[in-house]
Amino acid sequence: MYSTPDIRELEDFLFLEARLLDEKRWDEWEALFIDDGEYWIPATRGQPDPLHHVSIMYEKSLLRAVRLKRYRHPNAMSLQPEPQSVHLVSNVLLDAFDQDTGTVTAHSKFVVLEHRRETTNTYGGSYTHVLDKAADSYRIRMKKVELVNCDGILESIQIYL
Amino acid sequence: MGYNSEKIAAMIRDDGVHKAVYTDPEIFDLEMEKVWGRAWIFVAHESQVPEAGSFYSTTLARQPVLLVREDEETINLFFNRCAHKGAKVIEQESGKSKVLRCGYHGWSYDMSGRCRHVTGGDEAYRAIGVDKSSACMSLTKVPSVANYRGFIFASLSPDAPDIKTWLGATATSIDNMVDRSPVGRLEVTGGTLRYSHDSNWKFFVENLNDMMHAMIAHQSSAQTARVMGKQLFPDDKNVPSEIQILSPFAENTDFFEEMGVHAFENGHSYSGGKTSIHAGYSGIPEYEESMLNAYGKEKVEEIFSLNRHNTVVYPSFTLKGAIQTIRVVKPISVDQTVIESWTLRLVGAPDEMLQRSILYCNLINSSGNLVGPDDHEAYHRLQHGLGSDAGDWVSMGRHIGAEEPNEEGGLSATGSSDMVFRSQFKAWKAYMTAANGAA
Repeated sequence: MYSTPDIRELEDFLFLEARLLDEKRWDEWEALFIDDGEYWIPATRGQPDPLHHVSIMYEKSLLRAVRLKRYRHPNAMSLQPEPQSVHLVSNVLLDAFDQDTGTVTAHSKFVVLEHRRETTNTYGGSYTHVLDKAADSYRIRMKKVELVNCDGILESIQIYL
Repeated sequence: MGYNSEKIAAMIRDDGVHKAVYTDPEIFDLEMEKVWGRAWIFVAHESQVPEAGSFYSTTLARQPVLLVREDEETINLFFNRCAHKGAKVIEQESGKSKVLRCGYHGWSYDMSGRCRHVTGGDEAYRAIGVDKSSACMSLTKVPSVANYRGFIFASLSPDAPDIKTWLGATATSIDNMVDRSPVGRLEVTGGTLRYSHDSNWKFFVENLNDMMHAMIAHQSSAQTARVMGKQLFPDDKNVPSEIQILSPFAENTDFFEEMGVHAFENGHSYSGGKTSIHAGYSGIPEYEESMLNAYGKEKVEEIFSLNRHNTVVYPSFTLKGAIQTIRVVKPISVDQTVIESWTLRLVGAPDEMLQRSILYCNLINSSGNLVGPDDHEAYHRLQHGLGSDAGDWVSMGRHIGAEEPNEEGGLSATGSSDMVFRSQFKAWKAYMTAANGAA
């Protein structure tokens, strides 16, 4: 039996995740996911699943490994110069909690600024983190990024939001 | 600079083009009128308006148009402009309705475009001899519309040529995609991706059959996937689709030379044929069985033996028959282009086929994909590099003179030939210099 998580504890986890992305600490970020952990940016509002509808990104560990290797590749044309980001996470709420497994669903809002070359892009929306309880903290079962303009016309998104 | 036919013709040489074709806003405006205003432009697939009253709102050469199904047989394409004051009648992308009602003053039209309601009555127009039944009170139809095997094209020219003749050999790429359904039917499904490019539309259209860039521009993702695939699946068994889709982009130059390019009248082209980057995908037994039952062994082998990479129906429509995705070109300005990607479900085929197409779109066509940003970056650098004073001409002379006639009435060449670009600009020049009104 797990006890209801404290919002402050969830915030700590989400803020850390955001920081790892901004500081390009990719290996530490990837280590936050469970083995089969999903990262998903749907391309439409209320998209029921990532398999029968296109997504902006839908990646498990294999594709994340490709992308993270690409981040360090000397010939990644579109990452020269590389993008810089700042992730702001706020309005954290506990959406669901399973006392038996300790699994938590956290809802939050985000704003991300991405700067590359002469352009700064702004992204905003909601995060849903499904988190498994780990010994000291949490591990990500799924991170869903619902962009407010998910079905709009988008330029290249090369960072994890 | 006040272009005329002579000046435009001088911008296209046998072995290169003047950079202004990509950078001059005046050329872009002329293209909208003369290329995009005359060619058949892809509008939608008929499955997007499935029932009487279904509508789909899109653009045709930047103009708002509205595709409407009137009944089982009839699909109409109107300019999306109220006959009253000129507001767009339908703003929603798609839906179903009994009437097409303008939200401004309430003028309403039926699915044939006839005006059915004028707020306050049409008697108010008696003095000018007009009532609801007048043509000027109806929605205006786009001059030419054609449906080729479910794919709807339109032309702003009333003298558009016969669609099948105009498509030429690229009609067989559409045929092949349709034939890959055991019941011969496709359905647009799984949403649309809209990807903005800050570059001229022609860079995208050229790049699809540019067989020299993949192993260079996509090295960071494709080579990475390839190496990981070999490490994780050394016996080549159970290789996940993700790896199967990404790896071939890192094939060596010989592979792409072998794929070959094929160019046809009107600027159309395709790459691959007997083989392509889609040829190595593992089979889905249930699907193959459904195809065998539907068509028989000989026909199925013929269908599957056609393995084209990209087909370009110049200037607006590109398709990948083997993976059932299409990309639609929407020019916005001289240096802005939106690329729409759609997925088609093979009706009657197992779900895995759709899932693979969706995965392909995510990996290759979405804004967040692993391959496209490098193409996008290349176009961006082209747009900016050509702004320099280093030279007025863009070279397209590779393997010139080494083309060979093919069985489909076009020309074929080794993969790295610039033949496809030369062929596109030959068509471009013909459109741009044709006398007004000629298609």
